[in-house]
Amino acid sequence: MPSAQALRIQIEHTLERRFPAALSPVPRTVRETAPTGIAEVDDLLDGGLPVGAISEVTGPECSGRTSLTLSFLARCTQEGQVCAWVDAEDAFDAESAAACGVGLKQLLWVRCRKAGSQAGGKPWTRLDQALRATDLLLQAGGFAAIVLDLGGTAPEHASRIPLATWFRFRQAAGRTRCSLVVLGQDTYAQSSAALVLECAPRYAMEEQETVLNGFTYEVRRGRGTTEECTFPINRVRKPPASTWQATGSWNAEMRA
Amino acid sequence: MNPEHPNTPLYACIHAAEFPVQALLRLHPELHSEPLSVLDGKAPLQTVCSFNRHALLKGAAYGMTRLEAESIQGLRLATRSLEGESTARVILMECAANFSPRIEEASEGTACACVLDIAGTERLFGPPQALAQRLRAALASVGFHASIAVSSNFHTARMKAAATRGITVIPTGQEAASLAKLPLDALNLDAHHAETFVLWGIRTLGELAALPEVDLVTRLGQQALQSRDLARGALPHTFQPIEPEFVLTEFCDFETPVDQADSLLFVGARMIDCLVARASARALSLASITVRMALEGGRIHERAIRPALATADRKFLLKLLQLEIAAHPPQAAVVALTLTAQAGQSSKVQLGLFAPQMPEPSRLDVTIARLKAIAGEKRVGSPVLEDTHRPDAFRMESFAVASPSNAPVADHPRMALRRMRPPVPVRVVLRDLKPHAFRDRQQNYQVEAAYGPWKNSGGWWSADDWDAEEWDVLARGASGSSLACLLVRDCRQNQWRLEALYD
Repeated sequence: MPSAQALRIQIEHTLERRFPAALSPVPRTVRETAPTGIAEVDDLLDGGLPVGAISEVTGPECSGRTSLTLSFLARCTQEGQVCAWVDAEDAFDAESAAACGVGLKQLLWVRCRKAGSQAGGKPWTRLDQALRATDLLLQAGGFAAIVLDLGGTAPEHASRIPLATWFRFRQAAGRTRCSLVVLGQDTYAQSSAALVLECAPRYAMEEQETVLNGFTYEVRRGRGTTEECTFPINRVRKPPASTWQATGSWNAEMRA
Repeated sequence: MNPEHPNTPLYACIHAAEFPVQALLRLHPELHSEPLSVLDGKAPLQTVCSFNRHALLKGAAYGMTRLEAESIQGLRLATRSLEGESTARVILMECAANFSPRIEEASEGTACACVLDIAGTERLFGPPQALAQRLRAALASVGFHASIAVSSNFHTARMKAAATRGITVIPTGQEAASLAKLPLDALNLDAHHAETFVLWGIRTLGELAALPEVDLVTRLGQQALQSRDLARGALPHTFQPIEPEFVLTEFCDFETPVDQADSLLFVGARMIDCLVARASARALSLASITVRMALEGGRIHERAIRPALATADRKFLLKLLQLEIAAHPPQAAVVALTLTAQAGQSSKVQLGLFAPQMPEPSRLDVTIARLKAIAGEKRVGSPVLEDTHRPDAFRMESFAVASPSNAPVADHPRMALRRMRPPVPVRVVLRDLKPHAFRDRQQNYQVEAAYGPWKNSGGWWSADDWDAEEWDVLARGASGSSLACLLVRDCRQNQWRLEALYD
């Protein structure tokens, strides 16, 4: 009775001309990553967000999505790279970005407007504007990171974005080595996303009663295709998670 | 200098006849094969002042009235544009300046003429015949058909170029012979002298040159002697070179007002081509282009195109022009279009081997122009914080690839805000002067913790003052969702609003 390993080798040897490596998993390349600047999250992600791919940062409001993304942009701009923030709901706060260390001169901010106009046609919605702007920026190339901020967009609207759009974004991001970060309340890119991060609020740091010092957030790795696939496909395990803290810029203890 | 006579000067005269027509055809090459006449004067007293060869074959003549010209079947009529001719003249001079820096203008009537001092240019351009051929080809490349005459006498070159077509090179000493067959009209004599010579039976310059000098002066004075010297090709001339200013301007006057952007771009493309060619001839690029549109009703619509780097890429500049016109269309039909460019040094960027990837400046310009068309003119760019304590105070500046900032990255992750623009008005229930509960448009929230108030006011010396009280609030909604937000009370109006969320 041959062992399973021997049986597999025998079958593959028989079928190797017709189906190369029929039963062996396809080796996947380890994708380059860019650190987010938050040690706990970088540990969780084995380095950071993938370069040249779509990463989705999801979660409800007040779950730390924006803080995490700004921290990532701060790292990028610190290295001399340029980034873009496509703001579907015009919610970006420049003061927060500057406090996080984002080089504002290296940030292209596209503020979608409520009543976008199209020459000779019907008005574009904010979501349409955001998608078109993202498409243009990805095609232009040269941006290390582009954030598509759908954090304030209702999931029932954002989930209608065609999968073909996400597939096109993935291809363009891969070609231009751009990290496309999609900020949303839910996952939208489906299989086109290389990484999904699920954020959730935990509690406020309340050492003092008079000042809001910060928050503790929880981040969970929802799905990722960046790691080398070495496990059986049907393996089920709880996704890894981590917690991290964000503080106010007025927090003297953390600043010290 | 003349190779045969090293110490003699040498002149080349460019004569572009029917210049009003040529200036028009330069920007409308599709009209080259059509009979075209240009009318001068004010309606209804317009008369034909210039026409091309096809129009001549149809029967066009100088001085015809508009009515007479319109009666010729198939003849196209256009109104004379002095501004367009002036622009074309500058271009012709610029082209000539590539062969000699010493140029004297010698225009007469509707022709554009100039004389170049080409002494000493043999090493650069070869013998006079070769120079004349290259000069004529260069003029043809910018849309002008001109006759060229080369002579060691200034006036001989000028008269010969005006009277003949193509290229004529007159050897030194042969001036009188080459001018002998020209009619007396070539001298532009005054009426009295012209009538006298006709009475004497003198019709050509050769016959005038053969008259005895003393007898001629005795009867007609010193002016007649000058005319005789001109006819002999022996009148000396003090060269007075002009210094043409390098102005990159193109002008086009439309026969009928243009209201279609595509039609405008069709002409604009040709004008950009000319500007780029002229700048490239001096190893320059275009740093900016100002588009000036004269509209029906006398108004002016002006826009500017400023690429991040000076460029000579025609397609790129045309795309920017297209996007600019699409974003800011003229409010009325356009009757004239002027493009004025600022020349700049061609950009050369040395890329570093380990430098981070950056957007290509020319592509970035087009991308930003497209983004502005989508989101709005002032909604695309880099945010710059204002030097004030006013909340959410920033301004937008145009985005350009900048050197890395020296702003330190925060050691610890910072809480970030998501602004509500515009702020959401809320109804707040206070307890012990602190927010206890509030309601926005959708649901009720019970406040779990409220930190504040943080007073913020300023601008009291202006109409744009503010006076607010900020609260950092942790709340839980009726649906169980938690919320960390920034509630603000406007102290002037005693109104509460939800300004931002901590996220």
